[in-house]
Amino acid sequence: MRALLVLFALLLPAFAQAEGSVSLESRVFVERIVKNADGQRKAILQKPEIVTPGDQLVFVLAYINKGTKSAQKFVVTNPLPQAVAFQDVRDDRAQLSVDGGKTWGRLATLKVRETDAKWRSARPEDVTHIRWPIEQPIPVGGSGQLSFRGIVR
Amino acid sequence: MNALLKKVLLISGAVAGMSTASSAYAAGTAAGTSITNTVNVSYQVGATTINATPANNTIIVDRRIALTLTETGAATTSVALGQANAATSFTLTNNSNATVDVLMTAAQLAGGTAAHGGTDAFDLASTTIYVDVNSDGVWDAGDTLLASNYVNDLAPDASIRLLVVGNIPTSVTNGQVAGVTLSGQARESTGTAAANGAAITTTAGANTAGVDTVLFDSAFAGVAGDAANDGRVSDDDDYTVSAPTVTVFKTSRIISDPVNGTTNPKMIPGAVVEYCLIVVNSGTAAANNVTLSDTLPATLAYTSANYVVRVNGTYTGTAPTGTCNADGTSTPAAQSGQTISSNIGTVAAAATRTILFQATIQ
Repeated sequence: MRALLVLFALLLPAFAQAEGSVSLESRVFVERIVKNADGQRKAILQKPEIVTPGDQLVFVLAYINKGTKSAQKFVVTNPLPQAVAFQDVRDDRAQLSVDGGKTWGRLATLKVRETDAKWRSARPEDVTHIRWPIEQPIPVGGSGQLSFRGIVR
Repeated sequence: MNALLKKVLLISGAVAGMSTASSAYAAGTAAGTSITNTVNVSYQVGATTINATPANNTIIVDRRIALTLTETGAATTSVALGQANAATSFTLTNNSNATVDVLMTAAQLAGGTAAHGGTDAFDLASTTIYVDVNSDGVWDAGDTLLASNYVNDLAPDASIRLLVVGNIPTSVTNGQVAGVTLSGQARESTGTAAANGAAITTTAGANTAGVDTVLFDSAFAGVAGDAANDGRVSDDDDYTVSAPTVTVFKTSRIISDPVNGTTNPKMIPGAVVEYCLIVVNSGTAAANNVTLSDTLPATLAYTSANYVVRVNGTYTGTAPTGTCNADGTSTPAAQSGQTISSNIGTVAAAATRTILFQATIQ
C-alpha cells in the first residue's frame, strides 16, 4: 500500500494554473486486476502507458478553487471519447446522457432509439456524456474530484 | 492531497470483483489511436458565469497482437485409401487492433495422440496449405494454394479459412489416424503480398509514449516452442482412414440324401449339400464391386434342376456361426459349368451379404 501511495504521488502532477479561478484537471488510469501474495485479486491503478482494447480506464477529474470568491452552480461536463465505452459512475450527483447531451438522467431512465425505430433501455456503452452539477458552492480553496470508469473499445 | 488519494483508492478498491469485458471488443480501437478526454466546466462567481478552459487528457492506444487459430468442425476428417487432396480445416482470426501478416507452418505428428484422441499411425505423403476459398472445409478445385505459406494483410477482426491438404497412402488400414498441426506466426504487415515482414515482437524495455506492442496469445502444447504471448498460435487436427474390411466365409450343410431323404441325411453320393458364401464388411466404408467366385470340385455337381443360385441374400447372426437366409435374388446367370460367380455390387459398412447355392455329391 505504501508503494501504491508513492506511485500515486508520482502520478499526480501539480494543478496547472488555468484561466478563471477554478482549475480543472483530467487524468486517466488503467485499472488492472492483480493477485497479491495471498492469492487475492485486487485492482490497482496504473499510469496509462500500455493501453490496449478492452482495458479498464478510470477517468479522474480534479478541481480546485484557486480564486478569491466561492464558485456557484458548478457544472462539470465530460463528453466520452469515441474510443471509450462508459462503464459506471459511483456518484449520485452524476447525470448521464445517451443523446449527445440533449437529455439527462440516470441510466435506468434513459432510452435509446434503435434503427428500427423501437425504443429500448439504454446500456452503459450508449452513454455519450456525463455531467456533475455540484449544488454546494465551492469555497475558496475548496477542491474535489469526480471519477467514472470506461473501457477502451 | 492525501484526501484525494484516498478517494482514488476507494474507487479502485470498490471494483475489485468486476470482470473486464474485454471480449466485447474483439479487435477494438486501432493501434495508435489517440483517446482525448475533454472536460468542460462552468460556474458562477457572483453573477458572472465563467466557462473555464476545458481540461484535456490524451492517451495512445497500443498495439495488441492477438491471433487465434482453431480447427474448424471439431471432428476428424474421414478419408479413403489413397484419397488425393484430403483436407483438414482451420480458421485463423486476427483479434489484434492492427493489420498483420501471418506465416503459416503445417507439420505432421510423429506418433503420439492426435487431435481427436486417436494414435498417430501414418503420415500423408506431403502437406500443403490452401486457402479454403468457399469456406466449406474440404478441398475443391477453386481453393488456392497459400503462396509462400503467407497470409498477407489480415485486417483486425478478419479471419481466413485454411486447409492442410495431402494425399492418403494406399498402405493404410481402416481406423488408422494421421495427426497434423498448423501454426501461424504474426509478422509485420508490409502492405505487399510479395514481401514477408519481420516477426512481431513485444516492445522491449520500458514503455514508450508512442505505440508499444503487446503480444497476447495462448501456448499450444502440441507444437514445440509455441509459448504463450509469443505471437505464435497453433492447433491440431487429424485424418482417420475409413476403409472397407472384407472377410469371406464359406459354410455348408447337408439337405438330403437319396436313402434318408431330409431326415438325418448323410454325406453319401447323391446327397444334396447347400453352400453359403458370406461376405462380411467390418470396416467403416462401403466395399464396391464385390465379386465372389467359387469353383466346384469335380466330385460336386451344381444342382440347377431344383435350386437356382440366390445372390445378395442376408445373413442372421455372426458369420460363420449364424444362418444364411434364402432371400437372395435367384440368378441363373451366376452359374457357368462348375463355377459360381457373381458381382453382388456394394456391401455397405458393417453389412453382410451372401450367395447361396446347392450341389450334389457325385
